[in-house]
Amino acid sequence: MSLFGTSAGFGTGGTGVFGSTTTDSHNPMKDVEVTSPPDDSISCLAFSPPTMPGNFLIGGSWANDVRCWEVQDNGQTVPKAQQMHTGPVLDVCWSDDGSKVFTASCDKTAKMWDLNSNQAMQIAQHDGPIKSIHWIKAPNYSCIMTGSWDKTLKFWDTRSPNPMMSLQMPERCYCADVVYPMAVVATAERGLIVYQLENQPSEFRRIDSPLKHQHRCVAIFKDKQNKPTGFALGSIEGRVAIHYINPPNPAKDNFTFKCHRSNGTNTATPQDIYAVNAISFHPVHGTLATVGSDGRFSFWDKDARTKLKTSEQLDQPITACCFNNNGNIFAYASSYDWSKGHEYYNPQKKNYIFLRNAAEELKPRNKK
Amino acid sequence: MGRKKKKQMKPWCWYCNRDFDDEKILIQHQKAKHFKCHICHKKLYTGPGLAIHCMQVHKETIDGVPNAIPGRTDIELEIYGMEGIPEKDMEERRRVLEQKTQESQKKKQNQDDSDEYDEDEEPGPSFQQPAAQPQAGYMPPMTQPGMPPGSSAPGMPPGSYSGMPPMMPGVPPMMPGMPPVIPGMPPGMMPMGGMMPPGPGMPPMMPGMPPGIPPPVGHRPGMAHMAQAPPAAGPNMLTRPAMPAATAPSAQPAVTKPLFPSAGQMGSRVASTSTSTGSSSADSQSASSKALFPSTSQSQQTVSGSPHPTPSTSSDPSKPTFPAYTQATASVASPSAGSSTVSKPPSTVTSKPATLTTSSATSKLIHPDEDISLEELRAQLPRYQRNIPRQGQATVSAPPVGPLGGMMAPQQPGMRHPVPGQYGGPPQGMPGYMPGGMPPYGQGPPMVPPGYQGAPPRPPMGMRPPVMSPGSRY
Repeated sequence: MSLFGTSAGFGTGGTGVFGSTTTDSHNPMKDVEVTSPPDDSISCLAFSPPTMPGNFLIGGSWANDVRCWEVQDNGQTVPKAQQMHTGPVLDVCWSDDGSKVFTASCDKTAKMWDLNSNQAMQIAQHDGPIKSIHWIKAPNYSCIMTGSWDKTLKFWDTRSPNPMMSLQMPERCYCADVVYPMAVVATAERGLIVYQLENQPSEFRRIDSPLKHQHRCVAIFKDKQNKPTGFALGSIEGRVAIHYINPPNPAKDNFTFKCHRSNGTNTATPQDIYAVNAISFHPVHGTLATVGSDGRFSFWDKDARTKLKTSEQLDQPITACCFNNNGNIFAYASSYDWSKGHEYYNPQKKNYIFLRNAAEELKPRNKK
Repeated sequence: MGRKKKKQMKPWCWYCNRDFDDEKILIQHQKAKHFKCHICHKKLYTGPGLAIHCMQVHKETIDGVPNAIPGRTDIELEIYGMEGIPEKDMEERRRVLEQKTQESQKKKQNQDDSDEYDEDEEPGPSFQQPAAQPQAGYMPPMTQPGMPPGSSAPGMPPGSYSGMPPMMPGVPPMMPGMPPVIPGMPPGMMPMGGMMPPGPGMPPMMPGMPPGIPPPVGHRPGMAHMAQAPPAAGPNMLTRPAMPAATAPSAQPAVTKPLFPSAGQMGSRVASTSTSTGSSSADSQSASSKALFPSTSQSQQTVSGSPHPTPSTSSDPSKPTFPAYTQATASVASPSAGSSTVSKPPSTVTSKPATLTTSSATSKLIHPDEDISLEELRAQLPRYQRNIPRQGQATVSAPPVGPLGGMMAPQQPGMRHPVPGQYGGPPQGMPGYMPGGMPPYGQGPPMVPPGYQGAPPRPPMGMRPPVMSPGSRY
């Protein structure tokens, strides 16, 4: 019984416990497999906000679809609904009340999907594919922020076809994150811009990149008072920079660390360096997870500057990840990210989304 | 400075010329980097100590101090922290430091004249300054030499960067080629990352610092943010005795808004085209009751443990540290860095993209050569550009039931006509959709079991009537 009408019946209904019985490398961590995964690479994942009961996972893929699953407490996943774009979906986000899902696509549009009615309507238009979409909830306004390869960052009140505001960026948007009142956008050519969102969005600062390679993913972290205070930026060179906006001592406080590289200590063979595909912060502990083209995920404690865990290697890159609203679930997607080019793309290869219990493994390491 | 310190300058490592906030950290650094046995990783206290250890325990001789710059590898010199440094090297260092100070002071002064920043900003072409400081690392925080001494008033408000009046917070800019301090990092952690020798990149740093910005903004680290933080006196005692004060305390209202100083001011400085003044009223999203899916039963909030609680065996507790970045400067040849920097094409994207250097002797970047993102590369493929839904959507039940998005709503003449014109730049986007007439834009309803069919098959465009009407335009 396939709820997602398209492909060959992967929809085995509700059994979430799919994990392979043999140790084949598609799920070496033996995590829960989400049922009815998309038919092409998964580009983005997002869990529902705390304002909604339950856990609903949204995943966008290169198959032009956005799927919604309900993740039940016993770990079972139930496919719920799906929407389509006319081009690959690159990013998704939830509204703060959990009633709408926003999707951004290569078809240069963004849509608002009302989950109650299961209707989606276009709310944004760019001149190029939209790479990032985020919901902004400010005391005096709410809107959607879309970053596109057309080098603009636009803000949309979903009721109007014209953007509320359009900001020019130096280059194509590659990734972005929003934690009110801060937004960070990383662009091509290692551009990095911080925006402040109070009253109305405006550019706050352009930052010289702490990384020397193409930016790939960014995630804002908060301080102990739950205010955004900095961000983690990942590049294609297996490295993440932790950067504070106003640190007391930038030289000390900001740092980078290497990750997602092969053969750590063996210097005999050249080291393979993989791109960091996504970074997510645990909503409670403040520790972070990175996933890379090497097919591994790692958990880190940025304050203790230590690695908490690295997974076994999956047979495909991990392209997306996210935590649910209370940090108990870590979802990660295993699919091809094009890191080895066109030749290694196998459309027949199955894509996966795994769920892992994240309550324990992301606890911060006690600082010595 | 008043009383001459014993060493007269910040502690620095004789072996690699790096600067540190205090001697304790310097020693930790030395133990971890220079006096560490490469065989068993035991940390010794001195060079000779390391040599003896290797001989006795591993029966191996070492001929030089690891990670030392050429000329400073003498294994026989007994150096511990700042003790044991030959006098001539100390003098040479002092000379070099002074030179740097003077250079940047001069530069500072030159720039002061032409500076057009706000007056209340700490006189500070502090941004251009970084250029003078090679390897200043991250945001070489405000205080630059040449800062009018006045600002170094002793009464440096607590908000001041380090609280140390004359101190240059953050990185000692003068250190030629010196990676910035690695304070207090447990040995082996060397997280000094991000100390990219911005060098040439620095000057343009805040190219367009519009005057409106309160000083703390921009790269004044700790400016507003640190207003509350007790200026960590000790560690921030950064050299530059000659350097007048630190910055920016200037009574910034910033104190109240740690992260982003007065948002209002920010608004003016955006170098962009604001088409309208945002602030629409609070969102009108219907605050639907949380009945998300009509047929769903409420599930509990937390997910009780998954069937596979904490299995994995892959953690490496023995190696808790970040394989850190360390040497930003100097030893560029370090195997870690991998490929060299990306070549930068002119900003036109459309022409053939520049390429990355993806391979070096010691490492290989697993990434296609073109310097564009993986998604851009992939999106170029024809299979992703066909603007028809994939995978036989044709099968999906009903004809395009949902004129979702309103763009493609031929069924709703009333709505439709105004629409194309309204969405920003429809001409660009539209053509893609038009072919094939009514691409089943929204596959939503058909996919879903009846239970979810929230709306009747004719999802009214008028789901959101206000959206389309011209009147609601912003």
